[in-house]
Amino acid sequence: MKEFKQFLVNKMILFFMLTTGISVAIFFIGSAFDKDARFGYDALLVPAKYAFLCVLPTFVTYSRRELSIKMQIFRTLLELLLVEAVVLGIAFDSDYMDTGNISVTVALAASVLVIFAAVYLFAWFKDAAEAVEMNQTLVELQKQEIQKN
Amino acid sequence: MLDVAIEKIGKEETEQVLIRCHEMREEVKEIADFVRSRQGSLSCTLEGAQYEIAVADVYYIESVDGRTFLYTQEKTYETGSRLYELEELLRAKRFQRISKSTLVNLMKIQSIQPALNGRFLLLLKSGEKVILSRNYVKAFRDSLKGERGHEGI
Repeated sequence: MKEFKQFLVNKMILFFMLTTGISVAIFFIGSAFDKDARFGYDALLVPAKYAFLCVLPTFVTYSRRELSIKMQIFRTLLELLLVEAVVLGIAFDSDYMDTGNISVTVALAASVLVIFAAVYLFAWFKDAAEAVEMNQTLVELQKQEIQKN
Repeated sequence: MLDVAIEKIGKEETEQVLIRCHEMREEVKEIADFVRSRQGSLSCTLEGAQYEIAVADVYYIESVDGRTFLYTQEKTYETGSRLYELEELLRAKRFQRISKSTLVNLMKIQSIQPALNGRFLLLLKSGEKVILSRNYVKAFRDSLKGERGHEGI
């Protein structure tokens, strides 16, 4: 149960990261394709709504048992596909997006891919930095133990 | 209930722990395992034969379907001890919990690499790879720094 709570906390963090990323993506896509468009206050909720719906597919990565690396990669790809499906589904249902224009649809799908990759890349670099630090500490520990014995 | 008696002996005699019991109960086995682990060895079996293996030779310990296995460079032994018991016994021997089902010997880790989703891959000196679960990363980091690492969740 504690594990699932921690998983939910991580999903909350992801939600806020996605909200920011989607807001930025809408700004750039909107500026490129429809820069004179004007929206009401309800448009402000669009990034949060998108982020919430995009977080839902990420639940496919939850497992009570430790996943193998291959299974983790498979579930991550499945997660990406579901997120793309959710975002494009919302876009086709929305009045704000000109989904009749193929360029807009492709740009939207690409931006989802970029945001998704950026989130994982950011996490990867953070973990890589942590791994470097842990490797240094490990070498020190092993040296100390060898000297002790 | 076991009575405890400690007898001082002369320097010329060999020190020993003798347990006198009516039958081999779980608590007797635990005490024997504790003494052995303090001496630097673990009692285990392989293909029906009983072995005493040096703790320092164990790369990692894994619990699979309620059974506990010790992995050395080439062989896999089974022990009757539970993972949580071994975790307590071997903490001072630089063993650390890295997932719900695995303990690793910190002295046998070659390097640490990032894996997906906040997990890490521990490359062992035997060439095997084991996964450090994200929930145990903090405890693992603490244990590398020589602090007592309790599980993260």
